[in-house]
Amino acid sequence: MLPHLDAAHNLARWLTGNGHDAEDVVQEAYLRAYRFFDGFHGGDGRAWVLTVVRNTFLTWRRREERSRSTVPLDEEKHVVELVASDAGDTEALTGCIEALPPEFREILVLREFEEMPYRQIAEVAGLPQGTVMSRLSRARQRLEDCVRKKMRAAR
Amino acid sequence: MTCSRETIESFLDDELDASARVQVESHLAECGACSELLGRLSEQQAQIRLLPYYRASDRLRGAVRARLRKERPRREWMRWGALAAAVLLVVAATWMWRRGAERNLIAQEIVSSHVRSLMGEHLVDVPSSDRHTVKPWFNGKLDFSPEVKDLATEGFPLIGGRVDYVGGRRVAVLVYGKDKHTINLYLWPTAEDGGGSTFSQNGYSVLHWTRNGMSAWAISDLPPSELERFRNLL
Repeated sequence: MLPHLDAAHNLARWLTGNGHDAEDVVQEAYLRAYRFFDGFHGGDGRAWVLTVVRNTFLTWRRREERSRSTVPLDEEKHVVELVASDAGDTEALTGCIEALPPEFREILVLREFEEMPYRQIAEVAGLPQGTVMSRLSRARQRLEDCVRKKMRAAR
Repeated sequence: MTCSRETIESFLDDELDASARVQVESHLAECGACSELLGRLSEQQAQIRLLPYYRASDRLRGAVRARLRKERPRREWMRWGALAAAVLLVVAATWMWRRGAERNLIAQEIVSSHVRSLMGEHLVDVPSSDRHTVKPWFNGKLDFSPEVKDLATEGFPLIGGRVDYVGGRRVAVLVYGKDKHTINLYLWPTAEDGGGSTFSQNGYSVLHWTRNGMSAWAISDLPPSELERFRNLL
């Protein structure tokens, strides 16, 4: 009945950083997917749904930024996470993923949670495969640095 | 082979073909830096994959389902709405086309009738500049009574009236003069309302309008602006 809803929610949750906004994005994405179902020309249903979720998130974020028109979401979050750095491994890692710029985060989520091949990630994100590879690589390096810094600070 | 981060990551992500895999595997056995990097990367990957996978709650599932259910009639409605609009458009276009064609046909008849009337045989049945003579003259000849105005003081003296045959019916024609020009004003009742047009045909100015349930056509060799002035006086 509602295919790939878990994957859609997981992606939205990691992109928005909180449950409430994630649910908003998912609801809107499914509405869009339903209205523009004609845009689905076969292929992988999950990739299509996640593409819609991603695009809905981008629209949502633009709207959000316009209404706040102050600090971009991610910098704000970054500050919060650095303060709360006394957490354990898992929380440090979670915080570091959430602190990644969304264009890195989406690729990491698609790769590590959805275990998509580069080709499919490129399709969902609308990017060349080479860009997917370089962003994934940079995301991993940033994550490594971030976690190392946090663990050091916690000690 | 060179030890590139890109290659190691592609190896980790299982993006290499079989022969490249074999090459990397043999390289990893000898290159400490590469196997160390691969170790770090796979450790990180394993840790990320241990993080929560945020499944959709039942509440969200229900909410999405409810919204889509509300959406369905809308979609259906939009489809029928579009169909109805298309049909309506075709009907309206046909009707307007037919109306336009009919009007053109009448315009052609008006021009012919005007030319015939000026050929000297039959301009007026009742030659009179007195509207109290012309108006009653139509009684019994038509099933309606046209309004007759004398516009002599405005420069359009009444010359007379006649009965003519246009568009498959008997119509009233009032004849006015303007200097040496002649204006034929055709009148008959109509159910149509509004609409009007000005155009030139065969070098004649033709003016059409409807007012008070009467369809009116004025034609002359006067310039259109003069004919419009005449219409505004009526």
